[in-house]
Amino acid sequence: MSRAGRWFWAFALVLSAGSVSIAAEPARAQAPGAVREETTRPPRVAPTGVAPAKGSAMCGVCHSDIRVKYEKGIHKSEGVPCTSCHGGNSAALTVEGAHGAGFRGKPARRSIPALCASCHADVARMRFYNLPSDQYALYQLSYHGMKLAKGDESVAVCTDCHGVHEIRKPEDPKSQVFGRNIPGTCGKCHGDAAFRKRHGLKQDPVSDYKAGVHGKAYLSGDDPSAPDCTRCHGSHGATPPGVGDVEKVCGQCHLKTRTYFLASPHKEAMDQAGQPECAACHNSHKTQAVPPAEFAASCLGCHDKGDKEYRVGLTLARMKDDAASEIEKADKWVAQAAAIPLYVDDYRSRLQDARTALLEAAPVTHSLDSTLVEPHTRKARSIAARVSEEVREKISSRWWNKVGLGLFWFYLLLTAAVIMRARRRAAGRSR
Amino acid sequence: MKDSEGTDLERRGVLIWLSRGFLALWAPAAAGVATSFLKAPSSEHRPGDKAIRAGALSSLPVGDARFVHHGNDPFFVLRVSEGQVLAVSAICTHMRCVLRWDRETSTFQCPCHDGSFDRKGNVLGGPPKKPLPQYPAEVRADEIVVHT
Amino acid sequence: MESNREGKRSLLGWLESRVNLTEIVSFLSVFGLLPAELDSRKPLREALREAMSQPLPSYARWPRVLGILSFLLFLFLVATGTMLAFYYQPTAEQAYPSVTLIARDVAFGVLIHQVHYWSAALFLILLGMRVIRFFFQGLYARGREVVWMAAVLTFVAAAIADLTGRLLPYDASGYWTTVRAREVTDALPILGPITSFLVGGNGLDSTVLTRYYVLHIAIFPILLLLLFYIHFSSVRRVGMSRVEAAPAAKRSLRVAMYDLFLLVIFMVGGLMTLAVLFPQPFDAVANPILTPPDARPPWYLLAPLALMEALSFLPKILRGVIPEAILAVVLILPFLDRESGSGARRMLFRVLGIVLLVGWGALTWIGWYLEVGR
Repeated sequence: MSRAGRWFWAFALVLSAGSVSIAAEPARAQAPGAVREETTRPPRVAPTGVAPAKGSAMCGVCHSDIRVKYEKGIHKSEGVPCTSCHGGNSAALTVEGAHGAGFRGKPARRSIPALCASCHADVARMRFYNLPSDQYALYQLSYHGMKLAKGDESVAVCTDCHGVHEIRKPEDPKSQVFGRNIPGTCGKCHGDAAFRKRHGLKQDPVSDYKAGVHGKAYLSGDDPSAPDCTRCHGSHGATPPGVGDVEKVCGQCHLKTRTYFLASPHKEAMDQAGQPECAACHNSHKTQAVPPAEFAASCLGCHDKGDKEYRVGLTLARMKDDAASEIEKADKWVAQAAAIPLYVDDYRSRLQDARTALLEAAPVTHSLDSTLVEPHTRKARSIAARVSEEVREKISSRWWNKVGLGLFWFYLLLTAAVIMRARRRAAGRSR
Repeated sequence: MKDSEGTDLERRGVLIWLSRGFLALWAPAAAGVATSFLKAPSSEHRPGDKAIRAGALSSLPVGDARFVHHGNDPFFVLRVSEGQVLAVSAICTHMRCVLRWDRETSTFQCPCHDGSFDRKGNVLGGPPKKPLPQYPAEVRADEIVVHT
Repeated sequence: MESNREGKRSLLGWLESRVNLTEIVSFLSVFGLLPAELDSRKPLREALREAMSQPLPSYARWPRVLGILSFLLFLFLVATGTMLAFYYQPTAEQAYPSVTLIARDVAFGVLIHQVHYWSAALFLILLGMRVIRFFFQGLYARGREVVWMAAVLTFVAAAIADLTGRLLPYDASGYWTTVRAREVTDALPILGPITSFLVGGNGLDSTVLTRYYVLHIAIFPILLLLLFYIHFSSVRRVGMSRVEAAPAAKRSLRVAMYDLFLLVIFMVGGLMTLAVLFPQPFDAVANPILTPPDARPPWYLLAPLALMEALSFLPKILRGVIPEAILAVVLILPFLDRESGSGARRMLFRVLGIVLLVGWGALTWIGWYLEVGR
């Protein structure tokens, strides 16, 4: 059997199985109140009357404004009709008929996660879209879900992030959950000072994020690998990481840094002191590399000036500063030589190596072990110093030009003397 | 009297010829400057040419890569098969660190943040998102030539 | 004499019997470089000896030196320019790399480049000084109209050649100088459209660059050569200069030639010194989006710029007419000041000239400090 043939049969089998399971369930789905069950296992609310292709059918005749939004969304193109969320009869020609048996109207806010989960937690149904089906389970573990379960309806439910009728795929740039729109979507609530005050949230995470290195790199498009909110907090299971978990979250990307941090005395000490690990020095949302000028100050939050630990910090800072300033110096020399112009490509290449060594030193710094950091910073410093020296030599070797000019003038004046002599003779003869 | 006049004339003649010779030196000097300026660059190596010679093919085993220094944009040359070579940028697309070649896994590893790329420059893992740019490379008489 | 008689033995004689060398060399005198006749019926040595012994005022001595010196600089520019053209590529992508190549990798490249730059700078200044000298010495009177007009037009043509040359390296300063210069020329009612016709729009891309290149290496050098020829030949007809036509000590042409040699030598020395000690810094490549803060038009366009800014209350067309009118008046000066030498009117024109010159200087100074528009 050909490969395509095998796939065809497999697909047909699955389709028939799916249609059997759908056909078997309408009676349970009709049961009122089924959606209000709040268990970790989602109630299996099968959509009433799956009628692909038709979508809004007659509903759009009256609800034309909603229809416009609905038709832009993924549910329209995947054939999920109005009735699967709202119940009723989309084929009816009268309002009474349409809003008749099984009609749910606007679902209650509390019931929305379960309603969405009735399809989206169904592994069998979701797998052909290659969609995860654990969102509902995650949601119930999230701060949002836990608060909702306690009756706080001000927390986010599915529709707050994904939209109500105009639900777009996360890959759609117009979607609220498209990567770059996420800070704005979370910011609808968490960026609102009144909301934060009501909930006793002290930080302004969205503004801080935008001011930090992650937000700048990500939102400018310079570095698509920089994280948005969900990379650290999760999306459906959104929860702030606790003190001992910060390094795990940051370590997803900063692998090396995490390795060195875990081996350092900081890990245990910080956890005991209740310091939020990485965020203690780098801030949580306004993330940044500790600026050289503030390096010493960042240690003083926990350590005293006379401490051995503080001196270790100073040593580390000095090693990096020395290397960085040596590279900067070499850069200036190279720029000066390039303006002459001299050939500087080789020097630039070597400075690239020096910069790499300095960047390599950054994760190692978290080990707090100067013997581990020193080889990297020394390499950076020595390469840069040698480049500076060689370029300086190359620039200063141009004094030969001036010597050449002097010789040239010497020869020139001699020539002038010869010509003057001949001229004097010629003038004498003509007189 | 006559004798001294003769030597005087002779001396004058020599002096005139000396000064003429001295003046004539300007011509070869100017010609030297002009010809060394105008000399066409050889076809082998043109100054400022964008073709970079990256060493002999025979000294690079199949499946191995060699690092080539080239200004701000160093690169690796890889010998994919007997006669086929690749040139891939050696600068990580994340933070511009210089990559290292890992022979065992045939990947490029970034020493700074653990980014990794396959031998064609595609991202395998780590923070970088953009693949490494490739440069056209060819083999000319056992010499690997890369065009940047 | 002897060598000529037994010509078959010497190379010169051998050539002489086949080619009229004298006739070939006499083009120098026809062109006007040698202000003496060469008798083309005589052998070269004899003709030269004859010409050399003619009594002549030295034209290679101050203040008549400006003309011959500027022509020598012109020859220098042609020589160095031709050499640079061996490497230069007039496209927006390749212009800067090719100039970098010349300045960095080619033997003596930086020297040739700098000498070309300094020759151009001095060339323009000397031509300007020559016009000023002609004016104050009254060397535009009846009979010398052509000399005067040729001198003025030479200056204008040299300025345009200089302007077109500034864009060619395609570095930041050259690019933006050209952009600012085009802002000035575009405001002129007659010259503006001509410029646009010749070089096209404001975007200085490869098509425009190529046009600048052709103007710079072909059209304007030929025009300058033509103007020099007209000038020299007119001078030969009307005499070197009326005022100094009969100096006390006339010397032979031979002495004048030695003076010329000395002039060439010191000019070369001066250019080398400027090129080595005061090299034009090598700017970054042009970025059409990034205007450097000190982008100004070249010095000879600063005064028109300041003038047009000062007259901004006038309609645009009138503003542009004024600099053009001044240029036109300067050009036809000999026809306006016909009775030169006669007291009051001559005095009036001198005063007007001084006013114009001082005004020009002041406007140039203002133009330098002018922050125009943005």
